[in-house]
Amino acid sequence: MFLRQREPLSFERSVPGKRGMDLPKLDVPEARDTRPAHLQRSGFDALPELSEVEVIRHFTRLSKWNYGVDDGIYPLGSCTMKHNPRLNEKVAGLPGFTDSHPMAPDAFVQGNLETIYTLQEWLKEITGLPGVTLQPSAGAAGELTGVMLIRAYHVSKGAKRRVILIPDSGHGTNPATAAMAGYEVVELPSGTDGTISFDDVTDPVNGKVRKGLRTLVSELGSEIAGAMITNPNTIGVFEYRFKEISDLLHSVDALVYMDGANMNALVGVARPGDFGVDVMHLNLHKTMSTPHGGGGPGAGPVCCSAELLPFLPVPVVVRDTVKVGEGEVPRHSYRMAWDRPQSIGKVHTFYGNFGILVRALTYCLSHGSDGLKAATLRAIVNANYIRTRLKGAYALHIDSPTLHEVVFSDTNQAKHDVHTLDIAKRLIDHGYHPPTIYFPMIVPGALMIEPTESESKDELDAFCDTMLQIAKEAEENPDLLHQAPTLAPLRRLDETTAARKPVLKWAKG
Amino acid sequence: MRYLPSSPVEDRALLDTIGVPNAEALLVGIPDSARLRRELDLPTQGSEQEVAWQMMGLANRNTRFCAQFLGAGAYDHFVPSAIDAMISRQEWFTAYTPYQPEISQGTLQHIFEYQTLICDLTGLDVTNASLYDGGTACVEAALMAVRVAKKRNTVLVSRGLHPMYREVLKTNFAPHDDLNLVEVGLKDGVTDLADLQAKLSADVAAVMVGYPNFLGNLEDLTALAGPVHAAGALLVSVTQEAFAFGWFEAPGKVGADMACGEAMSLGNKPNYGGPFLGFLAVKDAHKREIPGRVVGQTKDLDGQTGYVLTLTAREQHIRRDKATSNICSNQGLVALRANIFMQLAGPEGLKGLAQQNAAKAQYLRQRLLELPDMAPVDDQPFFNEFMLRYTGDYATLQEACLRESLLPGLDLGRFYPEYAGCILWCATELHTRQMIESLVEILARVPATV
Repeated sequence: MFLRQREPLSFERSVPGKRGMDLPKLDVPEARDTRPAHLQRSGFDALPELSEVEVIRHFTRLSKWNYGVDDGIYPLGSCTMKHNPRLNEKVAGLPGFTDSHPMAPDAFVQGNLETIYTLQEWLKEITGLPGVTLQPSAGAAGELTGVMLIRAYHVSKGAKRRVILIPDSGHGTNPATAAMAGYEVVELPSGTDGTISFDDVTDPVNGKVRKGLRTLVSELGSEIAGAMITNPNTIGVFEYRFKEISDLLHSVDALVYMDGANMNALVGVARPGDFGVDVMHLNLHKTMSTPHGGGGPGAGPVCCSAELLPFLPVPVVVRDTVKVGEGEVPRHSYRMAWDRPQSIGKVHTFYGNFGILVRALTYCLSHGSDGLKAATLRAIVNANYIRTRLKGAYALHIDSPTLHEVVFSDTNQAKHDVHTLDIAKRLIDHGYHPPTIYFPMIVPGALMIEPTESESKDELDAFCDTMLQIAKEAEENPDLLHQAPTLAPLRRLDETTAARKPVLKWAKG
Repeated sequence: MRYLPSSPVEDRALLDTIGVPNAEALLVGIPDSARLRRELDLPTQGSEQEVAWQMMGLANRNTRFCAQFLGAGAYDHFVPSAIDAMISRQEWFTAYTPYQPEISQGTLQHIFEYQTLICDLTGLDVTNASLYDGGTACVEAALMAVRVAKKRNTVLVSRGLHPMYREVLKTNFAPHDDLNLVEVGLKDGVTDLADLQAKLSADVAAVMVGYPNFLGNLEDLTALAGPVHAAGALLVSVTQEAFAFGWFEAPGKVGADMACGEAMSLGNKPNYGGPFLGFLAVKDAHKREIPGRVVGQTKDLDGQTGYVLTLTAREQHIRRDKATSNICSNQGLVALRANIFMQLAGPEGLKGLAQQNAAKAQYLRQRLLELPDMAPVDDQPFFNEFMLRYTGDYATLQEACLRESLLPGLDLGRFYPEYAGCILWCATELHTRQMIESLVEILARVPATV
């Protein structure tokens, strides 16, 4: 699977005089130099000189040191690594889309506007929320947009609020977002079942009491702007008292933000707008299969209630019905609406990661209402299949059906001095990408597995067999796991030195 | 459904192992009141053929232009075939963020090379794995400057910055009552030095200027750096057209402390504004305040060189509400496109492309100025974009161009009332002399308005 030979940095291969790009013949006079001498480009220190064939081989070889969704199960929990349909890529590459300029007049980009409008309609129905913006470029950008909508809501009522509540099981982006939006974060404790605790929780280790939701709402009251809640939460469980949580927060006019990272468990089965959510984001690079690209680009559309609609970022895509004669099918035209006085403003230079939106709409049209629901159910079946096959060998955090993902802990293996990191690295030797590890933080030595709906029974069995074998290896030969990986191109890397003495770019030798 | 590996026999086997009669039985954790008790009111599934036709229909509903003389933050450049071929490899486009370094060395080494090249272009020391786009890169730069320049709460923004970048800055500063965003005016199409000096104070953390600015004009960073540094503030250069780095000196070498902006030009099409490529490069002294993912070089247990995500103590998954930013997913694959583009171009390619862009823009300007209703506004050095005053009616001109499948320059009055009647034109290596002549010919026929 891996290429064993080492691929040097391209800079080390550079040879003066090589060219990887030929320029067209210049058919106008050479540029006159009007630049002041000190602002003329002097030169480059690192740009390599390579032929096209060398560049292609370099990036092909490097690619073989990666693991992709087509290599097999990619069980990263909370990341929803599902199959990336090739049709989506093909469609997003159509010149009609890729050549279109973001400042072109609306009349000349009707296809783009209809794409945006149609995807918005799908997301409205899927979430049960009437407002949508597709501008945010990623989940975290969606969170920030959503929290700014909450802020605008309170400001419009002449009130400024100070606090955002976030469960201790939440993604790190939630508190970071609240801080970027100018809020103070107060943590909500999880109860023993992993869901948000209404009551105060006493830490079994240090005896410290952490205030539960009820206490916090009664003490902080109108200082609370809202809560950011991941649902299903990061242990794959639906916050079964969501409506109660929402009612309690609404009683002090605080709003409920839902982190939709785990929406793959709910599409077609439950709608956030129906269970008390005011505003949320979706990760199209998770739920709607747009590729992760080694870190992005994604898209983090925000859906909101009617009350928050006036505050949505500008511009908003609007559909007008073109008047037609009697008996004719009405035609539509689309435009960007900019004049929205209560809007929070712009959150992206243009209209978001449009190419990703094209892929997401293609995914929606391919699946349809029936396919979307079937995908949700299959993702849940797959997670529970893994739960059933691995429980016993690995300690379950909660022994009840989960939704789209399942969280184990390393307590069984820890008896043999084998820990989550060792299990993860041993999976690499067996040819798999490891699951998400050490998250959520409320589970000691967490192994968070999300198979998605894309895995067949064969793939699931092969993965489970490997996990069971690793559990056996942990008992019989723990050192095998401590040394892992030994079959990857590199062994474990020294992250401490990397951070202490950072080398962040290549420098000429 | 073709994407689901489902069959009656295997589905049954899965459910039997779990011990439930059907998949719905696994939804017990969702309270009944939260369940959707109907089908989604959406069309049912479509075959690949049907969906392909539907999406092609949408793409075809956009007008294809023979030539676009519009830049304004989204530039049309030639994209070498190697880029699409490379990024279509599943190992690149389907992979996740490289959290597990031993199985992600491809992505990690690419980011390390990308970081090296962005630092080379900008003349600065440290950059990250990418930000969303030019506008949000400005936000990250401004917030970082406030963190670096402790106890200073004001960011001065030149009116020459892309108007959308200024809008995005405004949105993101609004929640912070303790921070100020103050505009610095323009004079002769560049940042007004007198206005800047009047607004510099001990509260100013940073000054942000376009390089070149939105009007296409070159800002003299060296001249601006003097008063900015004297006031103890940081100079942030904002570049919306990365090809300009092949024409103008690296901002880090002429006084900028930070460089940020938009690098979509490196290997991407305009794509209706995204996915684009935000970048931010800073000095070594400020590296622990940079937002986003950063890759560093290290060794494995056997002493082999490898790469890892590093300086993670800045990031949201470790620091939560004390992180330098909330950014998690970035524009990874777009950064890969840029990396491949830069490696294909090399120093000669990048300089050569820059020379061609400058030559085409100069030729376009010269030819347009031969028309009786076009006039220069100022006399600043420019790269591939410039503004001209037009005494005719923009709407009429636009209509005439669009009829001939040419997209004309931007009506600046939309963003700058003081430049009402001015048009921002752009030419790149894609514009042949013939395209430029066609444009001039069409414009010559536009009736003059009284």
